Amino acid sequence: MNEFEWRRQMRDLRQPLAPRQNLWASIDAALDDAEPAITAHLPMADGPSRNPRRWLIAASFAASVLLAGAIGWHARQASIPAHVASAQRTASSAWKPSDPRLAGAATQLDAARMELQQAIQQAPDSPALQRLLMRTEHQQNQLRQLASDAS
Amino acid sequence: MSPVAPALANDGDDVRAAAAGDRRAFQRLYHLHVGRVHGAVYRLAGYDHARAEDLTQEAFVRAWQKLPGFRHESAFGTWLYRLAVNVALMDIRARGADPVSMVDDEHLPDPGQTPFCAAEREELERAIGMLPPRARAVLVLHDIEGWRHEEIGTELGMAVGTSKAQLHRARGLLRNILGSATAGEMK
Repeated sequence: MNEFEWRRQMRDLRQPLAPRQNLWASIDAALDDAEPAITAHLPMADGPSRNPRRWLIAASFAASVLLAGAIGWHARQASIPAHVASAQRTASSAWKPSDPRLAGAATQLDAARMELQQAIQQAPDSPALQRLLMRTEHQQNQLRQLASDAS
Repeated sequence: MSPVAPALANDGDDVRAAAAGDRRAFQRLYHLHVGRVHGAVYRLAGYDHARAEDLTQEAFVRAWQKLPGFRHESAFGTWLYRLAVNVALMDIRARGADPVSMVDDEHLPDPGQTPFCAAEREELERAIGMLPPRARAVLVLHDIEGWRHEEIGTELGMAVGTSKAQLHRARGLLRNILGSATAGEMK
């Protein structure tokens, strides 16, 4: 056998091979722990998750995002002119539901959205930040819907 | 054209949806690409089914985590394949592979004098599985997956010359294993 035949024989080994079992179920379960879960601290219409570990991870992630955002926001405020900061505060307090349970979530979401917008100004090419902002705005819409349904 | 090709070409919508958090889209991507991913990982893992399945699972979880950063500069399948190979190579490194060889490599044949040997597919796979992990990784990536030594060197953190030497060593070990297997059958 020459090298050409050897190479052909070796390349023949390069074939797709499905696993012996469908791995999707275990991957799907692992994704619960792997995905960014900023949505989890919101009051959702279909009730809380049945997996306490998922909630714990989600809460930790949300807290770390808010903390990082707050640090960035405070650092940025030092360099922002007073009239700009005032305008931002005015914009952020645009909507507040009458239900106190929803009002807390609305305040948190609004603060998170502002912090994300500021972070995006500093890193406009970050798809992760864009994605988080989209989620946050989606959650705000859900909250508005909840408030509307409740009233 | 193979029937798989159009599906692979049209996975862009699912890639974008999965990057935005759509788990069902990611499941479709899993079913579309798992064969290629698992095949490569299985070969790098020395044809060990259980380990390959663990690594395949890990590769898809990492893909899910990294998907928002996927820039569409290459096909998703290619990106996923490279990521999975990297997961398998990291596993080899984490296990402290080599330098201890499972087979005797003191008397490697001179590749210039010894002909490449023919073998049945299963026999060849079994022999590749017996190679030391790092040598096996180089052989699999170069001779089976078609990678260049520069790419292998980058992924495995070794010089191009080291990659070539590892390939030479791996081929020699493979010939020894296949040779002794043939000799055993003839006795």
